[in-house]
Amino acid sequence: MHIFTCTRNYEAMLTCIYVAWASGFGHKNIKLELEPFGQYSIFDEYTHVDADTALAQKVMDAVNMKLSPYFYSEIAYISMGYEEDVLDIMYRMMLYGFTYGNKALNMVQFDEIARYKAIRKRIGNEICRFKEFSRFHRIESGAYVAHIEPKSNLLLALGPIFQDRMPSENWMIVDDVHKEAIIHPINQNFYLRILNDEELENVLASERENDEYTDMWKVFFETIAIKERENPTCQNSHFPKWTRKHVVEFMKDS
Amino acid sequence: MYEIQNEMSLMDKLEILGDAAKYDVACTSSGVDRRGKEGFLGNSCAAGVCHAFAADGRCISLLKILMTNHCVFDCKYCRNRSSNDIKRATFTPDEICDLTIEFYKRNYIEGLFLSSGVINNPEYTMEKMCETLRLLRTKYKFNGYIHVKAIPGAPQELIYSAGLLADRISINMELPTKESLSKLAPNKSFNNIFGSMGQITDTIAAHRMAIGKDSRMERSDINQYLDNSIFSEKKRIEDSKKDLFLPADINDTKLKRNFASAGQSTQMIIGATNESDYDLIRTTQYLYQHYDMKRVFYSGYVPLNDDPVLPEIGTPVPLLREHRLYQADWLLRYYGFQANELLSEKNPNFDERIDPKCFWAISHLEQFPVEINTASHDVLLRVPGIGPLGVKKIVSARRYGSVTFPMLKKMGIVLKRAKYFITCNGRMMERIPIEEKFILGQLAGLEEKKNKEIQKPEDNYHQMSLFTDFGMSVQA
Ligand code: SF4
Repeated sequence: MHIFTCTRNYEAMLTCIYVAWASGFGHKNIKLELEPFGQYSIFDEYTHVDADTALAQKVMDAVNMKLSPYFYSEIAYISMGYEEDVLDIMYRMMLYGFTYGNKALNMVQFDEIARYKAIRKRIGNEICRFKEFSRFHRIESGAYVAHIEPKSNLLLALGPIFQDRMPSENWMIVDDVHKEAIIHPINQNFYLRILNDEELENVLASERENDEYTDMWKVFFETIAIKERENPTCQNSHFPKWTRKHVVEFMKDS
Repeated sequence: MYEIQNEMSLMDKLEILGDAAKYDVACTSSGVDRRGKEGFLGNSCAAGVCHAFAADGRCISLLKILMTNHCVFDCKYCRNRSSNDIKRATFTPDEICDLTIEFYKRNYIEGLFLSSGVINNPEYTMEKMCETLRLLRTKYKFNGYIHVKAIPGAPQELIYSAGLLADRISINMELPTKESLSKLAPNKSFNNIFGSMGQITDTIAAHRMAIGKDSRMERSDINQYLDNSIFSEKKRIEDSKKDLFLPADINDTKLKRNFASAGQSTQMIIGATNESDYDLIRTTQYLYQHYDMKRVFYSGYVPLNDDPVLPEIGTPVPLLREHRLYQADWLLRYYGFQANELLSEKNPNFDERIDPKCFWAISHLEQFPVEINTASHDVLLRVPGIGPLGVKKIVSARRYGSVTFPMLKKMGIVLKRAKYFITCNGRMMERIPIEEKFILGQLAGLEEKKNKEIQKPEDNYHQMSLFTDFGMSVQA
């Protein structure tokens, strides 16, 4: 088996797909993996691929023009997933796409397509969680900052959601895990920024900036529950504990 | 009754007025899609967004508060009734706007749910509420979701303004019969409630027609396949189209907003009086058909006042009954059932052991089993374990060939429920006696654990934490 590997960077992933495709080993004999991966096997041959803007662009163009912009957006969408096999699934989606056309995305009889659907659904749920449960803190400058720790790399999906919600505010969402942030200046489009350690340290402090509204929200949150109906099992299933870390109403007062 | 207005902080008021509003069940922010716009704060999403879940497991989507808990009325079941000696508070319009905006920017909420006790009279109260909403929409430029409670008996113009400023408007029916209402809410009148509800229904219809929509609210599209759906009979609005109320001289029309585009809803209290489930679901159906309600909510009664006409303090909240009624409400809205098919005068209450759909199926065994490969939408939807999505999948799969049990399983059909009621190509999944008692026992067994969790959630929790508290592990 020939294994093509790359880092979790979108451009690198598309380049990896290009290189694997062009390798000529035959689709059955290759596999694409994201780094870092589990174990090397002595029976397989590994090729590391670096990002190459021109090659990545070729893949984008091919999918957009020969299939459809929708097909392309689906590939981009699942690339956000943390699942280990995401890259290989992107490759297989294209393979079925170029064989059967756009309808390939619905051919769930193929395991890889069923897997794409499952990943897509999970990412959708995760985005939804962070759309609901991200909490902003107001910092001194008057901007609003939220910290999240998602499993997937989903900042780019959250951007348009919050831009529509708060078009005329300065705000920023920081992904503490992937060390990236989206920044939205008032009345402009948001942009993505990769943070270095020092910047990350600085923005981390913003989470400790609580004000009277944080306190009032906590009181409201406590008050609104009806004692006679208390139901922690139900609360936990709707609001899983792993998503609570940055949610003010669950944070202990420091 | 006292209020020390000057010394009370915003925090104190929020605590009092949030607490006073919590027995209203509706907290959804659904029913309308609206994009954000530059210079404004907020948008709205038709599916609704839950931002938090309180300790009782209920979703928090809106800042649900009363404008004031002062009230000149004396409804027996209500904590804010005039005869109770409790702390009272009143928000100023700016305070409400400020809280809404600041909570919204922090992503705590989707919007505001504003209700109120009656200060002075319904007119004055409604006027103050409109003033608050107007301020929020104009000065504070809030474009998110607003649900406003209309005060029955307030002048039509004010209710009209409220509906223009809000996305959803509701009037609580609270009790399904005139007798119960006059017994428990002596200051309220059935005529006022229905009068104001009817005005809202007609105004929504008029606005919808003015923008080229059907006069009635959109319903789940499964209903178009169901001949027996409660929504296929068009009542009331068609009769009253002649005298629709669309005044042009009200200032709020300049805002160019649609009147309550997320529709109208209402709520009924369960368990404070002795109406049967049949009374409740019949009333529910009536409200959907005649008043085009978008939702009817049920609120299990929480005893708060010591009063001879009410259940004693400490009486458990009828959570399981409330759950069954919500299930029945779904059957009316998504499954093409009519209230009088589910219950009757002779058999007026749901069986707490099993859900209303299974209950119906077991009492109609003569109509089963049905053949998956030929049955119509209506018939498939009545099979326990098959929902609207399942029906769509079955019908679309049938086009390509015959459907088998393994395929049903893949489609997510709950076979452990459905297997008693269906055949695939003439065969049942297993050898099953089609016998009422047997099937009832089987299905009740499936639900037992869940029922317990619903009726006594805290017991369940104590049990779980007992194990962890004592470091014991639970064997699976
Ligand atoms: S009108 Fe009745 S239900 Fe409403 S606040 Fe006053 S007493 Fe309570």
